[in-house]
Amino acid sequence: MSEPRRVFMRLLSFLRIGRAERELARELDAHLRQIEDGFLRQGLSPDEARLAARRAFGGIEQAKELQRDARSIRWLDELRQNVRYAVRTLRRAPGFTAAAILTLALGIGANTTMFGIINATLLQRLPFPEPERLVMLWQASSQDSSTFNIVSMPNYQDWLERSRSFSGIGLQDSSGRGYSVTGQGEGERVPGLRVTASFFQVLGVPPMLGRTFLKEEEDAGRDRVVVLSHSLWTRRYAADPTIVGKTILVDGKAFLVVGVMPVSFVQEYGGRRELWVPVGWTEGDRDRTSNSFVALARLKPGVSFEQARSEMETIGRALSAEYPIQNPKQIVAVEPMSDYGQARKRSQLAPMLAVVGFVLLIACANVANLMLARAASRSRELAVRVALGAGRGRIVRQLLTESVVLACAGAIGGLVLAYWGARAILPVLPSSISASDFRPVDAVAIDLRVLAFTSVIALGSGILFGLAPALAAFRNNLANPLRQNARGSTGDGKSRLRYGLVALEVAMTLIVLAGAGVMLVSVSRLLGVDPGLDPRNVLAMSISPPQKELYYGPPDNAQFCDGLTREVGAIPGVLSVGAFGHLPLTGARAGRAVSIEGRPDPGSENMPRAVYSVACPTSFATLGIPLVEGREFTARDALNAPAVAVINRRFAREHWPGEPAVGKRFKIGFLNSDNPWMTVVGVVENFHHGGLDVDQQPSIYRPYQQAAWPVMSIVVKTSSAPEPLTKAITKAVAVVEPHQPVSGVRTMEAVLGSSVRSRRFTMYLLSGFALLALILAAVGIAGVVGYSVVQRTPEIGVRVALGARRADVLRLILGHSLAWAIGGVVVGVAGAIWLLTLLGSMLYDVTPYDPIVLGSVSVALLAVVLAASYLPARRATRVDAVTALRQS
Amino acid sequence: MASERVELLQGTLDLIVLRALSTMGPQHAYGLAARLEQVADDPFPLNQGTMYAALTRLEQKGWIKGTWQRTESNREAKYYAITKAGLRALDDQVERWRKLSGLVNKLILGPSA
Repeated sequence: MSEPRRVFMRLLSFLRIGRAERELARELDAHLRQIEDGFLRQGLSPDEARLAARRAFGGIEQAKELQRDARSIRWLDELRQNVRYAVRTLRRAPGFTAAAILTLALGIGANTTMFGIINATLLQRLPFPEPERLVMLWQASSQDSSTFNIVSMPNYQDWLERSRSFSGIGLQDSSGRGYSVTGQGEGERVPGLRVTASFFQVLGVPPMLGRTFLKEEEDAGRDRVVVLSHSLWTRRYAADPTIVGKTILVDGKAFLVVGVMPVSFVQEYGGRRELWVPVGWTEGDRDRTSNSFVALARLKPGVSFEQARSEMETIGRALSAEYPIQNPKQIVAVEPMSDYGQARKRSQLAPMLAVVGFVLLIACANVANLMLARAASRSRELAVRVALGAGRGRIVRQLLTESVVLACAGAIGGLVLAYWGARAILPVLPSSISASDFRPVDAVAIDLRVLAFTSVIALGSGILFGLAPALAAFRNNLANPLRQNARGSTGDGKSRLRYGLVALEVAMTLIVLAGAGVMLVSVSRLLGVDPGLDPRNVLAMSISPPQKELYYGPPDNAQFCDGLTREVGAIPGVLSVGAFGHLPLTGARAGRAVSIEGRPDPGSENMPRAVYSVACPTSFATLGIPLVEGREFTARDALNAPAVAVINRRFAREHWPGEPAVGKRFKIGFLNSDNPWMTVVGVVENFHHGGLDVDQQPSIYRPYQQAAWPVMSIVVKTSSAPEPLTKAITKAVAVVEPHQPVSGVRTMEAVLGSSVRSRRFTMYLLSGFALLALILAAVGIAGVVGYSVVQRTPEIGVRVALGARRADVLRLILGHSLAWAIGGVVVGVAGAIWLLTLLGSMLYDVTPYDPIVLGSVSVALLAVVLAASYLPARRATRVDAVTALRQS
Repeated sequence: MASERVELLQGTLDLIVLRALSTMGPQHAYGLAARLEQVADDPFPLNQGTMYAALTRLEQKGWIKGTWQRTESNREAKYYAITKAGLRALDDQVERWRKLSGLVNKLILGPSA
């Protein structure tokens, strides 16, 4: 009983140290007075009595120390003393302290900002119960298991029947689309998704109201039911508690609301999904080669990931053997849902984290240099303390405490910077980092995890930059400074250490600068790429015309393209109008395997593939994509007319090299399939369909009238800036598709800009950090050179006395720092070549070892080093021989 | 001087203080120190300062309790009194001391002692 009580009392006493000390002093005082009284009674004078009492008592301080030991916790007490002493010392050197704290705040702030972004985008848990049991299932090639493919419905149903590892497997459409919700006020386009009945069970979230889908509702015809997200329910239906059982208009048709999901259920999938409808199997879906779904599954309790993986691999191989044409050499890959989409983000964020790490190291090197300089000027103070009996350990602890106190102050500053930094950066994050399927990005970037991170790096950097000076303090005998004046000289251990730190800073700055440099080159080369189309004065917007058969059949609204030409084309100022299944430069695309007429069957594994999309008449002209041969689609390419296609030059060259392609025929899918032969009617010039950085691939286009697509991007060319016509255009589109609101209205120039956005973001961030690193390094170098000039003043005095001219002195100082800086550059170049490969696919048309980039940043860096050294070096030239020699 | 100082066995001072308080009733540190010097046959130049560590340990264990009072000569002093827990602990500690000292005597002076 008494021991725990004592520990508690000790802690309490530590916390209430003032009170305990006062009480002790009072008690000792009373004790002394009692002894004194005795001596007074023996006839001593009051003064004599007081002295005698003290003698009789023994060591008062010793008694206090003994009591303190018993009373409190020694190391905590010492820590407090050290901290108090550190704060006092630091306050006596405000310039040094401010410089150190600011430097550290910048370094720690950069790191905390970056970690905050990583925390918000990468480290959040999946918002579903027991997320570690959630996996994604993919079709994958047995040869190259790194490429995952979405799945087809028949394969999914076989997985469902044969697998034993999962408590459920669910499907969702791989491309979410907008559903127009109308009736009750203004219509809006709501991002939705078609899913299987098992989808919600797999994710493990029950509805808040009503139910989710039934198995039989997966069949077309019974699928007019809808589940709403909490946000849609509150926003559009004023959180109507009786919504379940009511009908709403979705894509112009009556859908029964069967359920509302709770507020905690958030599904990110190319944006936040707000409604779900049953999958409603179409004819196209029943094709085993029609890969259009994403499969999610939940591991059964007790089943390991490894077990599931090997089971699915076996099932995949069996299905490949049973359907060699449709599933050539395929297996099934299992991926933890928490990994899904993370690799790409990681590869984008890793270089940034490395860069801010360098910035922090540079900051630490700077502060270490400041501390070294200070430690030299404090050597007398330390020597006095050692002489008075302070142990070496105590002194080292004291110096380390000072560093950690500095680092903590820097961390507080850094947190403030990071709070603003993360708030500024999060909204402009490129979607390649922020958009995470299934994983909402947390807007609150600074949380406990970030605080913990910051504490750790603050403590770590405090020890890092404090250790060198603390150890250096003992390299030279501490008693020496008391006996003699510290005589500065060159080339001693501490000066080498300082210049070594400079070289390190130069090396790290070079790496960061080179990173910014190659990104700059990437972005400028990318912006220099000819997109192959004319983005000027083009407005783009998307719409989802109602569609029963989503991908293969004819459009339900056969008049869509004609209507656009008629209604939008009639607006004054509109030059031409078209629509694509995938808006060029956005990265959205689909692919199809094709068979060429008159060629031998290459077998299902070796079928040629092409980028696939659909287009309305005059679409290519609207985007200024030139025709090489033939014509583009017209209104006559209707459903009952012969099947036709437009191809790009690449496709033409690949399959009909040296001969005209117009009039040739090919079909989608296998040679012996029922798909119609399509006649090439036109060849367009290659253009960057996927994005500026995506190579132009062989591409085929079908007329929308013959082959529908669930989401169409309307493009409108105007005679002047298109924005003022937005309202007129959307109104005209509403005449064509009355129940379909448009969304994503933007200019083609904006689309072009955003296609370089993620690289531009990396470039800006790297440039910002590079600038920071450069400033820190320059300040650090100026500090070191300045200090060494002071240290070398006597030596310089001797040189001047012996006839050295100003230029000689300048050369001496500059040469010294330049020599170290060149060493740093060499190390930095090697490091850059090694580390910049981290940027990987972010680099466009430039290598990590681009000699021009590396050369120019090296030269620039050396120039900065010279400039930073010049100012303090000039001071050395003013050294007067007599004063300098007298000083020593 | 230093050689005359009595090195007390670790923890014995606590026991001595506890015993003194139980027999004498509440005492201040000065009174305890004076009493110890008086009781000891040989001069017992106790470092009075060590008393405070012992008092603190005992008070933190809850075995004694200190209160500020006035002495007969109207000086203020902190009087320590043994608590009920202290009385119980004293019995235990005395028993332990008896065993320990018996053992030490046996080991040092031989079985005859």
